[in-house]
Amino acid sequence: MSAILARYFDGKSSVARQVSLALDAQRALRVRGDGIDLSYPISAVRASDRIGSSRRYLTFPDGSQCETGDNDGVDRLFAAQQPAAARLLHRWESGLRYALAAAAITLAVAAAAIFWGIPALAKQVAFALPASTEKLLGQDALATLDRFIFAPSRLPAERQEALRRLHSAMLAELSAGRGGGSGYRLELRAGGRAGPNAFALPAGIIVMTDELVALSRDDQEIEAVLAHEIGHLRQRHILRHVLQDSVTVLLIAVTLGDLTSLTTLAATAPTLLLQAKFSRDFEREADEFALGYLARRGISPEVFAAILQRMEDVRPGGKDAPDFLSSHPGTRERIARARGAR
Amino acid sequence: MEQNTAAQQAAAPVALQFTGAAGEYFRIWIVNLCLSVLTLGIYSAWAKVRRKRYFYGCTLLEGAAFEYLGNPVAVLKGRIIVVVAFAAYALLKEIHWLVGAALFFAVAAALPWVIQRALQFNARNSTHRNVRFGFRGTKMDIFAVLLIGALLIPVTLGLAYPFYLAMKRRIFVDNSSYGNQSFAFSATTGDYYLAAMKLSLAFFGFLVGSLITVGIGLLPFYLLLRAYAETSFARLAWRNTHLGEIRFDCGWTTGGLFGLYFLNTLGILASFGLLVPWAAIRTARYKLERITLHSANGLGSFLASAQDGVGAVGDEAGELLGFDFGL
Repeated sequence: MSAILARYFDGKSSVARQVSLALDAQRALRVRGDGIDLSYPISAVRASDRIGSSRRYLTFPDGSQCETGDNDGVDRLFAAQQPAAARLLHRWESGLRYALAAAAITLAVAAAAIFWGIPALAKQVAFALPASTEKLLGQDALATLDRFIFAPSRLPAERQEALRRLHSAMLAELSAGRGGGSGYRLELRAGGRAGPNAFALPAGIIVMTDELVALSRDDQEIEAVLAHEIGHLRQRHILRHVLQDSVTVLLIAVTLGDLTSLTTLAATAPTLLLQAKFSRDFEREADEFALGYLARRGISPEVFAAILQRMEDVRPGGKDAPDFLSSHPGTRERIARARGAR
Repeated sequence: MEQNTAAQQAAAPVALQFTGAAGEYFRIWIVNLCLSVLTLGIYSAWAKVRRKRYFYGCTLLEGAAFEYLGNPVAVLKGRIIVVVAFAAYALLKEIHWLVGAALFFAVAAALPWVIQRALQFNARNSTHRNVRFGFRGTKMDIFAVLLIGALLIPVTLGLAYPFYLAMKRRIFVDNSSYGNQSFAFSATTGDYYLAAMKLSLAFFGFLVGSLITVGIGLLPFYLLLRAYAETSFARLAWRNTHLGEIRFDCGWTTGGLFGLYFLNTLGILASFGLLVPWAAIRTARYKLERITLHSANGLGSFLASAQDGVGAVGDEAGELLGFDFGL
C-alpha cells in the first residue's frame, strides 16, 4: 500500500509540515516527516467525509490534524471504518447517471408538492383558521383599491339599498343550506379603470362596480355574479391563494437559495406561471358554485353566460388597462361550461 | 544574496486559490436537493454543512485548505427554533395587534443576540491549518449597529447609510480573529462617504441608462450598478483589513463582476434553476481568486487560542432574516 502525502498541523500554530501517512502491521497510522514521527491507532483517527475532490482532514486524538488531497488514499486506509452512509452518499454524487436520477426524483417530488401538496395544505389551513384572520387582510386590500382605483359609488341610494338587500337575501338562502356567510358584506364603488367588474376580497367583502350594475340587464344577472364571488369567499380562495403563493416561493427560495438574492429571485420566476394556474382553478370552482346556486334558484345558467359575454365584450383591449380577468379561464370556455350546465 | 531572494519571495502577494468544479458541484448540489426534498427539509441542515464543507475544502491558501466544522444537528436545531418562532409570530399576531406588537419587540430585542451568535458560530467553526477563526463582538456592539441602521438612517433620509456601512464593517473586522491574531480595520467613515458619493453618481447613470433604453436595459443596468457597488465596497473593505502584519487586496472589477452576474442570471433563467451550481462555482472562483494576501516577511505562524463550543441558533436565524455580514 503506497503512503499518503499530507500536511500536518499540530493545532497550536499554523506551521505546515510535509508528512507521509502509512498503516503499519499493528493497524497504527504512522505520521512521519519534517521532524515528526507519530503513531495513532487507526480506530482513534477521525477521517472527514469525502465531498467531491475537496480536501480531506484526518483528526487525531490529540487535536492535531492532517490535510490531504489524496481522497482515494484516505478511502483505502479507512475502508473498514467509514460509515456506510458516507460512502453511499459519495457513490451517489460520483456518477452522472445517479445525479440525473436525483434530478428526476427532485422534480417529481417538487411538482407533486407544488401542484397537489401545498394547495391541499393551504386549503386545510385556510379552513382551520378563524374567519377573523382574514379581517385585516380584507380591510387593507379594500383601502388600497379605494386609494388607487375606486371612487365612491354614484348609484342612487335606493338602488344601493336594493342591491344590498339582494345580497343579504342570497346569503340567507345559502346559509339555510350550509353554515358560513355571516359577516359577508357588499361594497359598491365607481370602478374607474377596473370597469365593469366584481371582486371577492378576504374577510367576506365583495366589491361590485357601478359599471357592472349598469351593464346588467336584470337583477338575476347580478345575482349570478354575486354567486360567483360568494363561491370565492366560501372556498376561502383568497387566503388559500396567499398561503400557496408564499409557501411556494419560500420553498423554492430555501431550496435553491445558496446564492445571492438576485439569482434566487431569478429562480423563483416560474412561480409566476404557477400563480396563473392556481387562479384558473379557483375561478372554475367559483363558477361551479355559482351554477349550482342558480340551478337551486331555478335561474337559467344562460343568465350567467350572458353577463360573462357582455363583460368580455366591453373589456378594454388596451395594454394600459389593468387586466383583472387575465387570471380567469378563457371567458369563452367559461361561457361554454355555463351553457353546458343546463 | 540567498536571503534577499527569500525576502522577495516572501514579499510576493499570495492569492487564494479555488479548486471547485461546476460538474462536480452540480452532482453534490442535486443530491443535497433531492434528499432535502424527500425528507421534507430536515436534510437541508446536512446539505448546508456539506455545501459549506465543499466550498471551504476547495479554497486554498498557499496549498492549505479551509475547513468548515459546523455540526448539522446544531444547524437543524437552529432552523427548528427559527421556523417555530416565525410560525408563532405569524399566528399569534392575528389574535390581537398588541400580541403581535409584543412579539415583534421580543424578536427585535433578541436580534442582537441572534446575530452575535450567528457570527460567532460561523467564525468558530471555520478553520485554516487547524487553527480556528473567532468573533468576540458583543451583543451591545451588534445592538449599536442595528440601532444606527434602524433609527439614524430613516431620520437622516439615508445620509447616515455610509456611516452605518463603515461601522458595521469595522465592528465585524475589529472583532474577528484567526487564532490569537486579531483582524484590524483601517478605513475611515470618510472613505465610505467618498465611495457612497461615487456610487450615487453611478446610480444616476443607471437611471439615465434605463430610461434611454426604455426598460429593456433595466436588468443589465441594474447588474452593472450592483457590480459597481459591490466592487467598490469590497475593495474598500479588503484593502483596509489587516491581520497582524498581513494586509489584503481585492482585485474585483466592475466589468468582471458584471459579466459574471449577467451570464449567471441568463444561465439560471434559461435552465430553470439547473445552472445554479454552475453560477455558484463561477462566482466563488472569481471572487476568491482575486483576493490576495501581502506580507513583508511571509505568512508567519499564529498560535491558536482556546475555543468554546457555541450553538447554531444565531447562524440560522441570521441567514433567514437576511443578516449576512459577509466576509
